[in-house]
Amino acid sequence: MNRTAWHEHEWQLIHAGAQSPSMHMALDEVLTTEVASGRRKPTLRVWEWASPAVVIGRHQSLRNEVDSDAARRHGIEVVRRISGGGAMFIEPGNTITYSICAPISLVAGLSFQESYQLMDSWVIDALAVLGIHASYQPLNDITSPAGKIAGAAQTRRGGAVLHHVTMAYDIDSTKMLEVLRIGREKLSDKGTLSAAKRVDPLRSQTGLPRETIIKRMIETFRLRHGLNDDRLGAEELALAEQLAGQKFSSPEWTAAVP
Amino acid sequence: MHGEYKIPGGKLVVADLNVIDARLTDVRVSGDFFIEPDSALDVIDAALQGLPADTSHEALTLAIEAALDAEVTLYGITPGGVAMAVRRAIDGATP
Repeated sequence: MNRTAWHEHEWQLIHAGAQSPSMHMALDEVLTTEVASGRRKPTLRVWEWASPAVVIGRHQSLRNEVDSDAARRHGIEVVRRISGGGAMFIEPGNTITYSICAPISLVAGLSFQESYQLMDSWVIDALAVLGIHASYQPLNDITSPAGKIAGAAQTRRGGAVLHHVTMAYDIDSTKMLEVLRIGREKLSDKGTLSAAKRVDPLRSQTGLPRETIIKRMIETFRLRHGLNDDRLGAEELALAEQLAGQKFSSPEWTAAVP
Repeated sequence: MHGEYKIPGGKLVVADLNVIDARLTDVRVSGDFFIEPDSALDVIDAALQGLPADTSHEALTLAIEAALDAEVTLYGITPGGVAMAVRRAIDGATP
């Protein structure tokens, strides 16, 4: 397969109202499948969160990663996503999350590491516009001299690749550490014992409102690759609602690795 | 039994298992790594199931490598890293 360039695709933007954590998990699966089948054009989806969440990776143990009692106490929904990677602690105003659903041709012939680098490159540009000297850091981080900014995860579905990224706009480290279990082994080669200290969020680095950062990011993508405003189709929404209820809210999926 | 190993430059691999009649059982590998297709993780679990509890790190590594098809892609996880987490679970060496 020949590799395609970003500008060879007609990129679509979806930036809908706030949705539940399980609905976001479902939309990633539905839209990636739709792009794989060719029914949907390549899409950038910017997420708005309706409620707080812990999102664990496809292969993480629920018990090892999350203090479920603490999550319940704080009203935090725990969901499992379809991609690998680590747990994320989400509060609606504190996080900027987006997904790119692209034809697999965009990353054809690339290693996984090259593919993360390629998919993150536009956002490195966007951060530069905001005055942040960010860079891709293998395996799946975006970092700045002041600290980690974001984490990415990819998965592939037939003819499409899903690349989604969560950026820290602000962070309540105390609450995060109550809800996530972060073991000493994980931090053994990170050079710090404090998970909270590893992250330096966008709010403190830019002083800008979250909405402004999102607007600038979308502008950067539009300038670089072209971007048409789009919306979720009725059928896509119905499929996602069904999946959100039947799969992504079910204990069988969330505790798939108990 | 529970063992963890942070692969240098890679991800955290966790092994949970039991040893019954000196053999590995209920083996479940988890962590924040990436594996495509995602069903390949079940193949790794199955390859470890029933192996003698005194299987060496090298032999565990080989058993995992032999079970994985060529088209499986691992990112942040290696057969040797999984074997290390499994050995730590058996030996109770995770701090």
